[in-house]
Amino acid sequence: MPTHDITPTRSVLLDLKKRIKLSQNGHKIMKMKRDGLIIEFFEVMEKAKQMRGSVVSDYQIAMNKIAVATAVEGEIAVKSAAYAIKAEPQVEVGSKSIMGMAVPRVEAKIERGNILNKGYGVISTSAYIEEASEAFENLLVTLVRAAEIETTMKKRLDEIEKTKRRVNALEFKVIPDLLEGKRFVEFRLEEMSREETIRLKLLKSKSEKA
Amino acid sequence: MEIAVIGNEDFVLGFRLAGLRRVFVATPENYGEVIMKAMSDPNIGILAADGKDMDLLPSNVRQKVLDSVQPVVVPVGRGETDLREKVKRAIGVDLYKTEDE
Repeated sequence: MPTHDITPTRSVLLDLKKRIKLSQNGHKIMKMKRDGLIIEFFEVMEKAKQMRGSVVSDYQIAMNKIAVATAVEGEIAVKSAAYAIKAEPQVEVGSKSIMGMAVPRVEAKIERGNILNKGYGVISTSAYIEEASEAFENLLVTLVRAAEIETTMKKRLDEIEKTKRRVNALEFKVIPDLLEGKRFVEFRLEEMSREETIRLKLLKSKSEKA
Repeated sequence: MEIAVIGNEDFVLGFRLAGLRRVFVATPENYGEVIMKAMSDPNIGILAADGKDMDLLPSNVRQKVLDSVQPVVVPVGRGETDLREKVKRAIGVDLYKTEDE
């Protein structure tokens, strides 16, 4: 608050004192929230690191399998098997609340049925294609779990950033400005009371002379 | 909600084998346009994308894609560079840094 905007009166001083107390309390709570969020974030980060690692390894396995399938059976056979598959994986995205923050809960419905129900012919399709399909199903399951954890992590990071910004704003802008305003009002009030005393003294001396 | 995949022909073929039907085939030229189209579909919950293709996007679009929560875009086939940046920005410390770096 710039000092030239403040009217130096007692009610303003009282109001400023109230606001300083409120801001200091708010700052303390925000700091605690930030620390709590960071501690929680560390737990999620470990999980996220592991999940990202499994996505990378499952992806490599799956790509190797499909490369073998394409090399042995030819691209057309792999493509025709891919288009024949019946299963359609679905996900349900709900949300749960952690520390007042909504994080998504992803549930996957991936049917990993019997080879006979997959949609492609068992005799005409080779084991390589089946292996590749299985590897990609595994990748999909890992991917869904990774998606949930990563979203939770992203949301937490956003919340941490937001809280951090608020803490800093309170600490370095709002509270110092209010304190400066309080100092200014106190100084002005003291100055005014000094002026008043001097004036009274002058009046007294004038009246004594007269 | 559905799981979708975006990438070149070879990348999406494997996911088709796993039963995915929402497939967006994109070339490096129209990748940005296609990914934005995929992201605007409210029925898609998770979007798997090729991590290498992500580098083709302009940085502002890339940031928007990686920060998206609905749908969640999961880059497949590369490390945690995107998350690493975000962690560094929010926490202020590079927590993904290993000892040999």
